Amino acid sequence: MKCAEIHPNLAAFALGGLEPEEAAEVRRHLASCPGCQKELEEIETVRHSLEAAPPPAAPPAYLKDEILSRVRAEGLSSSIKEEPEESSSLEEQTGSSRTSRFNRFKNLRIILPSVAAAAVVAMVTLGVFFGFMREELPVATIQLVPTPQETAGLKGYWGVAEIRPQPSGNQQVELKLNNFEEPKPNSYYELWFVSGERRISAGSFTSVGQGETKVLLNVPPEARNYHTLLITEEHMDNDTAPSQEVALKGEMP
Amino acid sequence: MMTQRADELSDEQLMTRLTGPEVEAALSKLYDRYSRTVFGVGLKILGDRSLAEELVQDVFLKVWRSSGTFDSSRGSFSTWLYRVTRSVALDLYRKRAHRVRPVPDGDPYLATAQDSSAGPQEVVDESWLSWRVSRALEVLDASHKEVIHLAYFEGLSQREISERTGVPLGTVKSRTASAFKSLRRELALGDTLREANR
Repeated sequence: MKCAEIHPNLAAFALGGLEPEEAAEVRRHLASCPGCQKELEEIETVRHSLEAAPPPAAPPAYLKDEILSRVRAEGLSSSIKEEPEESSSLEEQTGSSRTSRFNRFKNLRIILPSVAAAAVVAMVTLGVFFGFMREELPVATIQLVPTPQETAGLKGYWGVAEIRPQPSGNQQVELKLNNFEEPKPNSYYELWFVSGERRISAGSFTSVGQGETKVLLNVPPEARNYHTLLITEEHMDNDTAPSQEVALKGEMP
Repeated sequence: MMTQRADELSDEQLMTRLTGPEVEAALSKLYDRYSRTVFGVGLKILGDRSLAEELVQDVFLKVWRSSGTFDSSRGSFSTWLYRVTRSVALDLYRKRAHRVRPVPDGDPYLATAQDSSAGPQEVVDESWLSWRVSRALEVLDASHKEVIHLAYFEGLSQREISERTGVPLGTVKSRTASAFKSLRRELALGDTLREANR
């Protein structure tokens, strides 16, 4: 066989991808052709380099959005730092109508029913303040304020949720609840991220009642697509289904 | 919207847009071009998916925050990005020593990860070749990439590749030969290890 016929097969030969009879022909030719031997050596060098190749894997798709969201949020926080009085019109500052994971909280309305004797539904007015981004600081601080008519008898009743995306993709949720009544005996609260019939638990907690209750919870990256937040009061019984006793509810637009 | 399509811009041109209004489009394009390399090399160095993800996030945020320190007259963007990746990976490598991490049996990604008995500097030094090979593979055109993936990473014969893809056997062979030529050319280009270590 001529060199011109052997050359196209050399890479496949180096990879061990030829049929046995083709490989035997290549070997016979190589035994008497220094030019093709040299060519094969160079191909072998490349093949050897491939051993250093990293595993053919791609990072998870959500990571890019996380990074761009952080860039966006950090850019926003710089604007806010420069003009703090303008913080109520973030969208105007960005000049964009893009919906980021952080902007999603912008019009969050959370209904806060009382966990006291009468069930009181509290509407939440949301204020989103982007903190100056550092690893430890929240990217969104959500102030939960009951409407005046629903706060009767609930002096100083309010809540704050701070969201911090973690490098792992999880989201840390820090709840600060003020004067949030203790759960009933043999009961506890649980925070859920809900989408349709599906829900993800962010964890369970209790409350100190009078004063501030601070709770640190985590949800996995998938919870970003779960736009309803519920805090339910769960009871220590044999029923493993989530309770229908909703103490707090929020909808993300 | 970029005044010029991001696809048409070089890495170095995209870097100049990281301080302006086109920052997201520019960073997004750089991410598309390099995230697989950063992630793959991260897996090799760190041997841990969650740390490799952390690496990708830290590296691209650093690219954005430190874009002003990039000087194209001193070397290519790829080499600069490798240095950023190496630096962040070293920090994470040290952090790994303090973590307890469950390693699932038979994880194909971890199977190819570096032996953690090697020292951090040793592991990171070897990453330059991984980086260059990854870049050479990334810039192959799709048909060449496919044939190398099937022939080298999946170990298929040329006939098996032809059967699986429906591409004639002769074309599979010529694509394999062309892919190797492209890889050889790409690996011969670029900065040296000394430049990468500057």
